[in-house]
Amino acid sequence: MDMSGTFLSGPAERLRASVVGIANGRRGRRAAGGAGIAWSGDLFVTSAHVATASHATIVTPDGRAVPGEVVRRDAERDIAVIRAPGAAVAAAVTGDPYALRSGSLVFAVGHPFGVRDAVSVGVLQAVSRLPRGYGLNGKGALVWVQADVRLAPGNSGGPVADAQGRVIGVAAMVVSGVALAVPVPDVERCLSGLT
Amino acid sequence: MTDDRTTLATLSEQLADAVATAGAALVAVHARPRLPSTGVHWKDGVVVTTEATVRRDDDIEVTLPDGRRIPATLAGRDRGTDLAVLRIAPGSLPVAQLGDPVTLRPGHLVLALARLDEGGPRAAFGAVSATGGKWRCWKGGEIDHWLQSDLDIYPGFGGGPLVDAAGRIHGVNSGGLSRALATTIPVGTVNRVMAQLLERGYVARGWIGAAMQPVQLDPTTRQRVKRDGGLLLLSLEPDAPATRAGLLIGDIVVAIDGQSVDGFDQLLDVLGGGDVVGKKLKLEVVRAGQPVSVDVVIGERPRRGR
Repeated sequence: MDMSGTFLSGPAERLRASVVGIANGRRGRRAAGGAGIAWSGDLFVTSAHVATASHATIVTPDGRAVPGEVVRRDAERDIAVIRAPGAAVAAAVTGDPYALRSGSLVFAVGHPFGVRDAVSVGVLQAVSRLPRGYGLNGKGALVWVQADVRLAPGNSGGPVADAQGRVIGVAAMVVSGVALAVPVPDVERCLSGLT
Repeated sequence: MTDDRTTLATLSEQLADAVATAGAALVAVHARPRLPSTGVHWKDGVVVTTEATVRRDDDIEVTLPDGRRIPATLAGRDRGTDLAVLRIAPGSLPVAQLGDPVTLRPGHLVLALARLDEGGPRAAFGAVSATGGKWRCWKGGEIDHWLQSDLDIYPGFGGGPLVDAAGRIHGVNSGGLSRALATTIPVGTVNRVMAQLLERGYVARGWIGAAMQPVQLDPTTRQRVKRDGGLLLLSLEPDAPATRAGLLIGDIVVAIDGQSVDGFDQLLDVLGGGDVVGKKLKLEVVRAGQPVSVDVVIGERPRRGR
């Protein structure tokens, strides 16, 4: 098997087609401040700390800027939902993070430091609350997808996916070096009633 | 399903299997405030972790893979190699499956594992970045084999194992032996240090009780003794092996057991090796320009109170 030739290129390529850039406001700058995921229909998911205004602009993989409206925002769970009619971006496939074991391959797609659609790879650590001793100012009670994968500013709101490219979480932050993502079931809860 | 998907999914499953296999022999070690560290159940009833993460000598507990928390006692610690050994009740969990670190080559996929709580084992993923022979770390201990990887040693991962893609444990990861790099204390070194810690609670290191400085010999002496340089004795501790052997301040040690000496390395290699206390060293010494032969019996380095 040709590992070097196929390593992640297929799943990463498919996932990148569903990752968008997010800029705040109706006529956001073309430069993407964070990432977003085409979820279903004209709905896009990103981090609440990325979509901070009432309107956001979606930058599609083929470079179009499409205005959207922030239709839901959960600051506690750090998820925002944007409706952008006419964006026409293929929805990502989602998976169940709880079905993955520690050590399973995961990868992230985002725009770290403004680099479009960069891929980083690593493994799952846990889907649980943070271990005692990892500081998170009161958010320790939340369940996170925790992964050994490189995230940087610009990854926020983008996907963390399994080896087959199924989204298992929405990248949120880095704590004690560990990448944290919002588990897909929690994201679905934020979307309830919208889809 | 396309090839790349199945290939990756297979690799992903293998890595998760490796984590499950090796993770079954891991405990969380509660021996410092706030954050636990990781320990490897190296042989039945014996847990190995890093010395730097064992901050207290008493009231130590470990969390088993099944979530039970049981007491552990400190058998001993060795700062030089950053290893500590704990005793727990035998039969508490499976024993680690050990690999041979010499078989790892740069580029091999490896995992760093941790257990931090009653949840499952945690993993970090990377590759072996460099290997090599014996080396002495800045803490003073001799490590049998250089094994460096690009793994991130997250908080609590210290004391956890370096694991290959088949789940075999090749050593214990230390975040403190070399800054910014994940360094692994290989199986051989762990076995050697663990045996000494279990036997007497500390690692005995060779000592002769002399302060020295490398020097070059003058041309006349060089010709007479057929050596280029050596170690000049600057001071001697009272009642130390060097003093008992009759060495004098001003002596120049030019050879040990027939091997020329031109710096500290030869002497440190001799004294730092395993099981050297009580062995006799044949020193070739230049005293007042004349060659003299002196036998020194290696003593045990006095242990400073912690």
